[in-house]
Amino acid sequence: MNLVHASNESIDVATLSLRSPDVVMNAERLGAMHQTRISFVRTLLRKIDREKWTLSRHLWDLDDNGYGQVIYRLQTPEYKYHLVVFCNELADDERNDRVIAQKWDVTFGLVFGEIGQELLDNLKANVPLQEAGRNSNMVMVLARANKSVRVFDHIVSALADGKQPDLDVLAQVGYILRTTAVYGNGKFGIYDFKPLDHSEDFNQSFRAQMCAVYLLREFSLDWVDFLAKKKGGSKTVALHPEIKRYLGIGNATGLGMAPYLINHPCVVDQWLTTREEAVQATLVCAIEAEKTEYFESLLKRAIQHFTEIVTINEQQATLNATVVAELTSLQSALMTTIEDYTIWAEFLQAHNHLSFESQEVIISCLMELYPERVDSFQEKVNADENLILPKGKVIQDLLNVLESRYQWAITIDFNEPENSYWFWYRSVDKEEPRMGVRGQEPGDDRELSLDIARQAKNLYLALQQADPQQLISEFMLSKPKYRSIARRVWTMGHKKMGDIQMNVLHKNAPPMHLLRCKLSMFGATKFDPRSDRWVRITLFQGAPLFSEVHSDEWLFPLLPNLSKEEPSIKESSTQ
Amino acid sequence: MIVSHNEIVAMVYKAFTGMHREVGEADVIASMVAELEMAGLDGVRHFNNASPYILTEQDTPIDIVHQETGAIRFDLHGSSLICHLPAIMDYALEKMGDLDHFQIYLMNCHNRWLAYSELVKLADNGIACLAKWDNGTVPKHTLLTLNQGFVYPDLYFFNEPQDNYNTNDMIIELATANFDIEQEIEHFDHKISTDELFATHQRSWKEGIHVDDEQWAILKKTAAAILVENSEASSKGAGGV
Repeated sequence: MNLVHASNESIDVATLSLRSPDVVMNAERLGAMHQTRISFVRTLLRKIDREKWTLSRHLWDLDDNGYGQVIYRLQTPEYKYHLVVFCNELADDERNDRVIAQKWDVTFGLVFGEIGQELLDNLKANVPLQEAGRNSNMVMVLARANKSVRVFDHIVSALADGKQPDLDVLAQVGYILRTTAVYGNGKFGIYDFKPLDHSEDFNQSFRAQMCAVYLLREFSLDWVDFLAKKKGGSKTVALHPEIKRYLGIGNATGLGMAPYLINHPCVVDQWLTTREEAVQATLVCAIEAEKTEYFESLLKRAIQHFTEIVTINEQQATLNATVVAELTSLQSALMTTIEDYTIWAEFLQAHNHLSFESQEVIISCLMELYPERVDSFQEKVNADENLILPKGKVIQDLLNVLESRYQWAITIDFNEPENSYWFWYRSVDKEEPRMGVRGQEPGDDRELSLDIARQAKNLYLALQQADPQQLISEFMLSKPKYRSIARRVWTMGHKKMGDIQMNVLHKNAPPMHLLRCKLSMFGATKFDPRSDRWVRITLFQGAPLFSEVHSDEWLFPLLPNLSKEEPSIKESSTQ
Repeated sequence: MIVSHNEIVAMVYKAFTGMHREVGEADVIASMVAELEMAGLDGVRHFNNASPYILTEQDTPIDIVHQETGAIRFDLHGSSLICHLPAIMDYALEKMGDLDHFQIYLMNCHNRWLAYSELVKLADNGIACLAKWDNGTVPKHTLLTLNQGFVYPDLYFFNEPQDNYNTNDMIIELATANFDIEQEIEHFDHKISTDELFATHQRSWKEGIHVDDEQWAILKKTAAAILVENSEASSKGAGGV
């Protein structure tokens, strides 16, 4: 029996009736997901609070313009780590968020253990070069960030003048620094993820990367306070703590994230299965008045959040407006309509006519109501990535899997040009993933094998020609080219959620859905698509500062209300 | 230079994918190379040596030339073993069923060192393994034994040929009990023990993996074949700035 231990009860996962993979793994729904309690940023902060991690400034060596190096020391119950930050002068025309950029305002690494002079020299020589450098394997995370110049300059100038920054300016962006790549797991010579299996601190997918970004947020806040003081002297004020909480770290994410999701199907299944189990652990609960009130307050906050979001993307702006309209209507009548339902599953089912965005907001809010049930799922995010074929099974068994779990793929007619319109490839420019139009642009002879739907369809057609009672292993000896997709279909077809149901070659298949799915698992907020292929988001926006880190919820960041002034705002947050 | 496990996996994956073979699985092959390199047994060099063969191979299935209870003989027609061994092992394990012993004879194959990770995987199934092959150069004979309950094998090297196998053949024996190899290893010249392989693996995870600079450069060059040259259209393919 697979039990998950909540704080005061055990949840038998096997008895939870999950929604169908056709519902959960629908690409459009995945593309509407939001942060939840078990998003990685939320899990990390609860861990920091629970285990009382500490952060201190180890080195602050910046000139009057804010260029130089800074080191923060992170102490966990298990080990010591350092965030090493290098700040460089960057001309405005050199600032580029694409992976092909060569220079950045800030480069940084999260490093295991102590930093000796030799290691520091090595970091100084290599971290600013990013992909072009060769780093010590003591580096666990390698990343870079650019300023939001408008926000950065505005905050520094305002504080130096003794004023708090204009919230309208901050609301346009929501961060001071924007990461453009955050590398982990052995990239460019740094530490592999696998040996972290035994680490209590960073044994979960992307936790080290999320931690590095959270510490960078601390730096970004300290940095503007430092520069304002340099500029304004005695008349300077420190950035208001409420504003600090409001500012997260931006992130610009492009197509590079999409191949990860397709090439790591077991990880994606694990993430979505765990999320779905946590959702169901919530939905089976009886609706109580106290929880309804809390739910209503979260809905109100969501409505305000979506009202405040600024995006240049018209489609996203329309979706956000729809969320506001739908949830406002829902919230205004909630206390009356809620009496029609006994458990939350009925409530959610009754609202499946709403937009996916609204449905996903509801799910995120519901999960906040039962931390004692939901948080117990937070550790289940790692996966065995082996794709295997079974012993003793025949072709008919594999056909059955395809017919029951891959209808979304085997019904596609790939002779129709629109179904294989795009091809995906890697450019010589830093191996950046790109999409090209088949038959019109060069490179389809070097197409990446992300065409899972097409491969599954081809496998299905080949299997239909075979003896249904032939052993799979025997078939693969004579048709070895199908072994790879057969391993995937068999393995993913026996997982609870399985593959993402999306033909990425289709003319109208938006890669944004894949990006959004992964980013929401991280805990991203404020989705601001800049085209159909890259998006800006914020991480840790609205999160508590390190010095006040807590385990309470901080869903949907809101612009601060500074009408109630705090008495002392002179000190920076990290000491 | 020092590289990470993930770098080897990613680089070999790209390199093999760029060869556009229908037969062979990039993720499996990447794992084969990385595991061999982790063990300090020159996985990258072996893959680089295999690359020209793989590039010129025909995408044809292999043949079963003889099959009887407890034994099977394949002809790989001069193909690299890495493209076919996973399917061969699946089939052989199926045919072995409840037998105590099973022999796989592979004729006319290349790159036999790269069988290492597929053989090591047998430990997960509780199956003991013995594999051996002759070479044209010293060491003239190699013997690998994997005992039940062990994660890594023992490797024995011989400066003289032992049974005069064809130098393009390989024998893999599977059993439900450990092999008695006392006579077979009587005249070995060099040994790498399971303990040494374990220590090398551990060191590779902790300190990174030492790869010959020249071999890494060759692999990178092979991996670059999949990249598409830049163009205006190509730049737009990332979504624009």
